[in-house]
Amino acid sequence: MNKKISTSIKRVDAGIKTGGAARYIGDIPFDGLLYGKIVRSSRARAIIKSVSVPALPEGYYYIDAKDIPSGGRNRIEMIKDDWPVFADEHVRFIGETIGLLVGPDRKELNRLRDEVKVEYEDLTPVFSIEEAEALKGGPIHGEDNTYADYRLQKGDPDAAFAKAARVIEDTIRTGFQEHIYMEPQGVVAKTEDDGKLGILFSGQCPFYVRHAVSATMGLAEDQVRVQQVVTGGAFGGKEHYPDVISTPLAVAARKIGKPIGLFFDRVEDISFTPKRHPSVTRFKTALDEAGNIIGMDIDVRIDAGAYESCSMVVLQRAIFSVNSVYNIPNVKIRGRAFATNNVPSDAYRGFGAPQGLFAMESHMSHLARAINVDELKLKQQYLLKQGDVTVTNGRIHEEVKLPEIIQRIDDMSGYSKKLKEHTPGSWKGIGISLFNHGSGFTGNGEQEIIKGVVKMRKRADGLVDLLVSNVEMGQGLQTTFRKIAAMVLELPVDSVIYNDPNTDLVPDSGPTCASRSIAVVGYLVQEAAKKLKDRWKESDIVEVRQQYEPPEGLIPWDQENLQGDAYPSYGWGANVIEVEVDPLTYEVTTKGIWAVHDVGVAIDEKVVEGQVDGGIIQALGYGSLEKLEVKEGRFQQKTMADYTIPTTMDFPKIKSALVDNPYEYGPFGAKGAGELVFDGAAAAFADAVQMAINGDVKQIPVTPEYIMEVREDGNN
Amino acid sequence: MVDSYRPLSLKEAFDLRAEKGAMPFAGGTDLMVRYRYESGAIPDYPRPIMFLGHLDDLRKIRRIEHGLSIGAAVTMTELLDHDEVPEILKESLLTIAAPGLRNTATIAGNICNASPAGDSICALYALDAGVKLQSPGGERIEPLYQFITGPGKTDLHADEILTEIIIPEDRSTIHLFKKVGTRRANALSKLTLSAVARISDGRIDEIRIAVGAVAPTVVRSLELEKKMEGRSLKDVALEAEDILRDYDALVQPIDDQRSTAVYRKRVAMNLVRHFLLGVVLQQKGA
Amino acid sequence: MATINFSINGTSHAIDTDPLRRLLDILREDLKLTGVKEGCGEGECGACSVLKDGVLVNSCMIPIGTCEGSEIITPEGLRETVQGKAIIDAYGESGAVQCGFCTPGMMMATEALLRKNPSPTEGEAREALSGNLCRCTGYDMIIDGVLKAAERGKGLW
Repeated sequence: MNKKISTSIKRVDAGIKTGGAARYIGDIPFDGLLYGKIVRSSRARAIIKSVSVPALPEGYYYIDAKDIPSGGRNRIEMIKDDWPVFADEHVRFIGETIGLLVGPDRKELNRLRDEVKVEYEDLTPVFSIEEAEALKGGPIHGEDNTYADYRLQKGDPDAAFAKAARVIEDTIRTGFQEHIYMEPQGVVAKTEDDGKLGILFSGQCPFYVRHAVSATMGLAEDQVRVQQVVTGGAFGGKEHYPDVISTPLAVAARKIGKPIGLFFDRVEDISFTPKRHPSVTRFKTALDEAGNIIGMDIDVRIDAGAYESCSMVVLQRAIFSVNSVYNIPNVKIRGRAFATNNVPSDAYRGFGAPQGLFAMESHMSHLARAINVDELKLKQQYLLKQGDVTVTNGRIHEEVKLPEIIQRIDDMSGYSKKLKEHTPGSWKGIGISLFNHGSGFTGNGEQEIIKGVVKMRKRADGLVDLLVSNVEMGQGLQTTFRKIAAMVLELPVDSVIYNDPNTDLVPDSGPTCASRSIAVVGYLVQEAAKKLKDRWKESDIVEVRQQYEPPEGLIPWDQENLQGDAYPSYGWGANVIEVEVDPLTYEVTTKGIWAVHDVGVAIDEKVVEGQVDGGIIQALGYGSLEKLEVKEGRFQQKTMADYTIPTTMDFPKIKSALVDNPYEYGPFGAKGAGELVFDGAAAAFADAVQMAINGDVKQIPVTPEYIMEVREDGNN
Repeated sequence: MVDSYRPLSLKEAFDLRAEKGAMPFAGGTDLMVRYRYESGAIPDYPRPIMFLGHLDDLRKIRRIEHGLSIGAAVTMTELLDHDEVPEILKESLLTIAAPGLRNTATIAGNICNASPAGDSICALYALDAGVKLQSPGGERIEPLYQFITGPGKTDLHADEILTEIIIPEDRSTIHLFKKVGTRRANALSKLTLSAVARISDGRIDEIRIAVGAVAPTVVRSLELEKKMEGRSLKDVALEAEDILRDYDALVQPIDDQRSTAVYRKRVAMNLVRHFLLGVVLQQKGA
Repeated sequence: MATINFSINGTSHAIDTDPLRRLLDILREDLKLTGVKEGCGEGECGACSVLKDGVLVNSCMIPIGTCEGSEIITPEGLRETVQGKAIIDAYGESGAVQCGFCTPGMMMATEALLRKNPSPTEGEAREALSGNLCRCTGYDMIIDGVLKAAERGKGLW
């Protein structure tokens, strides 16, 4: 049966998308549609003294906080609610929403926007983690500029450091990353025929939008109807941000009474939407006489930007990932998310894990270089095994197939052999990374916050409605969810109807994020299908409901102290990358990319391979090309010409394989895959480069400019 | 909002240039980006536009005495598909944008946009190309290095239209084109080297070295080239370090969103050094 | 304002409009041909690719005034042809489609390539699609799709 579920079928949405018939939010016609244009702050940290709006032509409107209905709130209720819909007295980043202009002509809206005069009293802004920690200009948030400050401890690190023969320090930095979903942000708000407030949007989480809009408007949740439409990529960038633009748009649509669309221009999208959190991770590692790692002291700091939104959860995943796949006996970890006056950082594929994993993988490679041992051998010495204790003092409950994964990738890539062939500094190098990724929400999020529900209904015509709130955003859910249900029900895949979710029609199965759609919701789909199959003959129409319950045998989660099982299961993987560096230009040519993953069981091999390919190339962009610098609160690369994602020509074909490791509480044994496949490539790339140039690579992106610097330092 | 025109002859175009101050628009790929407003809006052109891409007079590649004439509306793809276009120019064109854009873009537009990072411009400097500028009163031919006067600035007079690019016969025996871009394809330049040389009997008959995106205009030194021309490879080898030092003084890059001054300087000089020491001076007779 | 005469997907059109408007906007807004997407608006991403007089162009870089007498093919036109169907099938079988926003443009670039070179190598396919950005697939399966279309559709181009 497992074999059959993994066998690929043609994606259900391939034909309609390729031919251009699929309708994205900007493709849907609406009668009398008006456009919205955001009036944005030009200052990073200031008090708004006054806003003066020019005389508006007929049919044009200016909307701001005063237009929020009584009973509503000028706050965007996301995981936190610190981000205002419209800036009230203060602005905290360049681009923050002050007001919304609405009207029929976009060029006229642009002109009017440029004529809105805002008078500011400037305060001293903060643009880096260091400045935030130094409380430059006084705190932006709380007393110390941290949204969250966590400490974890495993074993007895103080004792380990007291007896250390040697302590090695290392600081690793990662940069901003922009999602570059190919379809920029877009939302339409309108009053529906039945009087409800309707939101149509491109994004990941219909119920997040419904919650945020109803809270802002002071409406009961069922008075807001949210329809997700075909979504042109998201990668976390459409997890919370649609809430940020749906809320002001809802205020405008209610007041004006006409449908209004807000569609971002690419430059606007790059300039003002959230990014992956930059990070600085400092390691102190205690070694004994024999060179064994006996303890680590790790300090993780991330730039969360102007509002907290979900940053504390990103920080949690970052610190839970900062020991990567290793069982270090004694560890002390501190993690802080700092408030700055940069654009708020938010969800991006991996959600903190890529930063933590890159830091640890790099640090392990630096340790190996420092004590002159084989890097892979050093890593193998500490691999997590079933039953081992995690940094949150939880356990690894599943069999860890890393030895098999490592063997497999070595066979495929010839890593060990090539390692001997390339001398460090010969401009050729090969690198390896190991990684894991917990499936589902961190900690007790699934049972305490999300409480996901799936419904399934046998219809009179014999077809089956699959009612879930998770969305197709490119990752293949339209295909894989149908396959799970159809396989259990022993029906053809096209007998299962799964439409883009509408909050009036589907239960809240939770958001589409955190590698939870297959691992968590897919399991509910499977269990619902089993129930429906049992009751199939009861009647013409049969509806079943399945709610999330945590797997048995977990160590309960203590959210106060971040202790227990942070995740019920993990995906695991290894990447190998081979490079050549041009000695004249320091440009890197990637010669080979290999990947082996354990995602439990693939629901569809081709879908998983597509995730592997896409995740790795996106991660190689993160690791090598995608420089995003912030200067005085403004991103310097704000076009697709200057913010460079990989093209067809940048990397060679990927060779990948899967290792089966069925998970008891996953559908057909499947675990999460979407983020895991992003987690390792940057570290493997950096590792390969550092071998080629014989110098420690300590930051990403590893640009030619940075390679030149490291190489010159190495030569001095 | 500005007007636009579609003249049916060059003569009509000159009239529009004189009467309306219309801006010549061949492929338009640089102008569309430079004056781009926001999604859904017409670009914010400062002056009226006249489309010239369809004029047959400007769409020819012709052999002329001692060289090649390329009409201002010839697209980059058409140049790539043409047998007589010098290899170094083709190599530069292949690094520009991607097929879709090259089907529209022209090198005349690249020249008039006068970006120091214009890749075809750098190759055209190394080919010692010139531009033909026509006006109702007549025509003049200027070397490219005189026509381009600064970033985004040219010596195009108000009544003139750039109608042809003139490339002298390429007699080089060796050439090197290297674009260091922001990625491997569809990329903008961090810097570019275009260099050609004609070597015979252990002597440098001709040499031209052009470096793009490391100064306000493409760096090319007639003086340093003259210093090397007509001399034996052995003699030049003795002075190579001095020559490189002189090039080093000319390379004055800046930091921007694509790269850093220190990287541009180092890599530009690595490439010039490589061309001179690793390619030219390795030829037979050195 | 001017009248522009041109054909789209084989049908003649005469449109009164400002010649400086982008072909992309004419297609999407005036003619509701929304298979053409705007990903960047500056010729970088290829989501707005169409064929103009048989060659691939970025419709965001084309003022409609330069289309006088031109023949434009959009995804809506190509998908009805035997060649378009071959590409769509090959993409589906190769797993070339994820979010789909870049895919119609990829299909246009594939058609342009196969018209010029009916049996491309992997390298030639990569070069031909280098102006079409995708953020989901990492490109391998799109390239597989191009090669599969060439192989399956032998003789069509």
